[in-house]
Amino acid sequence: MDVFGSFALILAFVCAVYAFVGGIAAIITRHPLLIKSARQAGIAVCGLIFTATLSLVYLFFTDNYSVAYVVSHSNRDLSTFFKIAALWSGQEGSLLFWSFLLAIYVVSVLLTYRNKNGELMPYVGVILAGVQLFFLTISNFVASPFKVLGVANAVGNFNLVARADGNGLNPVLQYPEMVIHPPNLYSGYTGFTIPFAFALAALLARYPGEKWIHLTRKWTMIAWCFQTMGILLGAHWAYAVLGWGGYWGWDPVENASLLPWLTGTAFLHSVMMQEKRGMMKVWNVWLVFITFMLCILGTLLTRSGVVSSVHAFAQSSIGNWFVGFLCIVMGVCLAAYFKNKDYLKSENQLDSLVSRESSFLFNNLVLLVACVAVLSGTLFPVFSEWFTGSRISVGAPFFNKVNIPLGLMLMFLTGVGPLLAWRKTSTDSMRRNFQVPLSAGLIGGILLFAVGVREMFSLICFTLCIFVTATIVQEFYRGARVVRVRSGASWLASCVDLTLRNTRRYGGYIVHLGMVMIFIGLAGQAFNKEVEKELPIGSTISIGKYDLLLQSMDQKQEKNYVADRMIVEVMKDQKPVMMLYPERRNFPANQESGTMVAIYSTLKEDLYVVYAGMNPQTNLPTVHAFINPLVKWVWWGGMVVVMGTIVALVPNRAAVVVLARAEAPSGVRELSGMRPAQVTLREGHD
Amino acid sequence: MPPGATRLLADQSDRTHQIGSKIKCMCNGCDQAAGKCYHVGGAYSGPCDTAKTMLKEIDTHIAAGLNDQQVLDAMIKQYGPLAYVEPPKSGFGLVAWLMPILYLLAGLTLVVVVMKRWRKRPAAIALAAGANGVHVSPELLARARQQAQRETEE
Repeated sequence: MDVFGSFALILAFVCAVYAFVGGIAAIITRHPLLIKSARQAGIAVCGLIFTATLSLVYLFFTDNYSVAYVVSHSNRDLSTFFKIAALWSGQEGSLLFWSFLLAIYVVSVLLTYRNKNGELMPYVGVILAGVQLFFLTISNFVASPFKVLGVANAVGNFNLVARADGNGLNPVLQYPEMVIHPPNLYSGYTGFTIPFAFALAALLARYPGEKWIHLTRKWTMIAWCFQTMGILLGAHWAYAVLGWGGYWGWDPVENASLLPWLTGTAFLHSVMMQEKRGMMKVWNVWLVFITFMLCILGTLLTRSGVVSSVHAFAQSSIGNWFVGFLCIVMGVCLAAYFKNKDYLKSENQLDSLVSRESSFLFNNLVLLVACVAVLSGTLFPVFSEWFTGSRISVGAPFFNKVNIPLGLMLMFLTGVGPLLAWRKTSTDSMRRNFQVPLSAGLIGGILLFAVGVREMFSLICFTLCIFVTATIVQEFYRGARVVRVRSGASWLASCVDLTLRNTRRYGGYIVHLGMVMIFIGLAGQAFNKEVEKELPIGSTISIGKYDLLLQSMDQKQEKNYVADRMIVEVMKDQKPVMMLYPERRNFPANQESGTMVAIYSTLKEDLYVVYAGMNPQTNLPTVHAFINPLVKWVWWGGMVVVMGTIVALVPNRAAVVVLARAEAPSGVRELSGMRPAQVTLREGHD
Repeated sequence: MPPGATRLLADQSDRTHQIGSKIKCMCNGCDQAAGKCYHVGGAYSGPCDTAKTMLKEIDTHIAAGLNDQQVLDAMIKQYGPLAYVEPPKSGFGLVAWLMPILYLLAGLTLVVVVMKRWRKRPAAIALAAGANGVHVSPELLARARQQAQRETEE
């Protein structure tokens, strides 16, 4: 199966070369059969990548310990569920997995648009094949996941050797979330290839009309949604597994995942400027390009060992390949831009400083400043080494100090933006729009201050969160009121109706609401408490309102590990609330161990209990307990963000229905002939 | 991020942990402060041996009668600038702190310049419906206008 897999991989490479070169030839000659064959080669590449990936999974499932990658990342006792995760737990496998996810996107794009956008698709195909070609080159010639173990014999050939068992999977990865976090994050990273391909293709082809910007936006939203989920699942994994009480440590790998998210978010906002007003075309195209390049840069940072990180795989020369690829991408983007710059000419002017347009400008400013600040902070140790000869490290406190003010500015704009009209906002409408949300925010802030919230940034954050929530509620209320007057439906039904009619606008508000919840959770960190103590059995420690009684300790033999457990009774106001079982797991396969944090989570706060180990001198177990207020809001907020994005991806319920209701209540079907009207009505009115 | 000091070992003072949280754990495995090290993927969640050693060194410095800043300086001298949890606000470290401010100023300038240029731009070449080459009946257009008005009315 390893031969089969590597054969599929080399064949995929050959097909990708054809899809790339043949695709370019097809663009030049415009021969329909050549275009078709290049597209089909592109589809074949994807099929072959699927085959190669499944072969590797098969090798894991069948415990084939003659393959080096399987030996390093699996063992017989590892459950099947985690054998899937083993696929991406090392460099070679995760690069193949990267190609696999990209192939899913590519094949969807090639098949979905095979009979559409005739002038654009050959370009898209070539760009996608180019990206695939790069990853296939790496997987075939630099970091092959199908290398077999062998020893040189006297003749100089290799004899295959197979091990009896593998080294096992890194214990910190043996958690269910590790099976879903990387696919999500990688789907985000790879997903940004699609908008990149569309934007670059449109620029190269000078593709007329606005169609490509809709396609780019749609695929950016899909990638963005996965990226958001990936980041939050990673944070939750860190929180539930690593046992340091937090979920975001500004580690270079975390930062790398945040960078394309920030530029992607900026694009999803500024793209509206292009759709509604025909402005900022150059900026948008570059945002898409940069987002893609940041995805590659992120991989470069984490794979090359340029910056030290807890996630970084073993240092290797692979980084040079990524530098080369990044240079090529940059070169192509610059060339395409300078050649077809006039294609991106703006159509409109700015009418007023107080307008939706300018709020988007500031939104993009803050997001980009945050992105560049995080990037340069991450790279600062490298800079300082260049200039001074010694590395100065930049840790979490720096990133917090820089990004908290930026985050608050962004939250402020989240509240202000939707209240400003496109083009120009009159003083009168400003007063009308801002009155309620601003008062709500101020009153809320004063009340919080009155009840004793004194942490400045948290207080500002909560105040802004109330302001933004009031803005969103006001928007839904105003919209739903109009619907209700006409249809007489309930408030809830009116809100649903309203949302379905303009999914982008109201889906976007739901995303904003999710972000508000995440910010509430983040602001809660200022009130964290913790305590650590060596605890004889039968004794108690107190934290906040809780008393933790260590009832006993036990040991649990599982298939792949032995767990030492603490049995802790949680009491609140002298009354038992629940039992918690924090664990330490020892994995015999690789002599490593990991923690399993026990969390009692409520919307108000998390009680987070870690079994921190046995003190060898006193032979007493150590408990480390945290009270982390409002953490749950982050996870729930994340879910709301994802829900909102999905809503925004749903096509609007046709405007025709509205027309029908107003003019000819029963004539929906007759009116369907009027669909061309939608071409002239700009989608939504956000 | 849990703020403030963390008591990791019973025999170490709060002050040690205060200082320890301003010095990076040099185990090269975590990116955390010595006073907060929960070595990711290490033997178990808890300070790794490197962090413990560093905390003990801080203890020694404190016992020698150094004040907080002197202890920090001594630790940086010993481990080099890689031991900073955040860059120092002097020397080259200051560059790290100035960078974000510089970005914000540069960005603001750019936004202002762009806005000024946009305002001077000649009147829009409006994307009139007709320009797209799609024919719209005046009746439908009127209806669409009506709808737009309805949906935006207060």
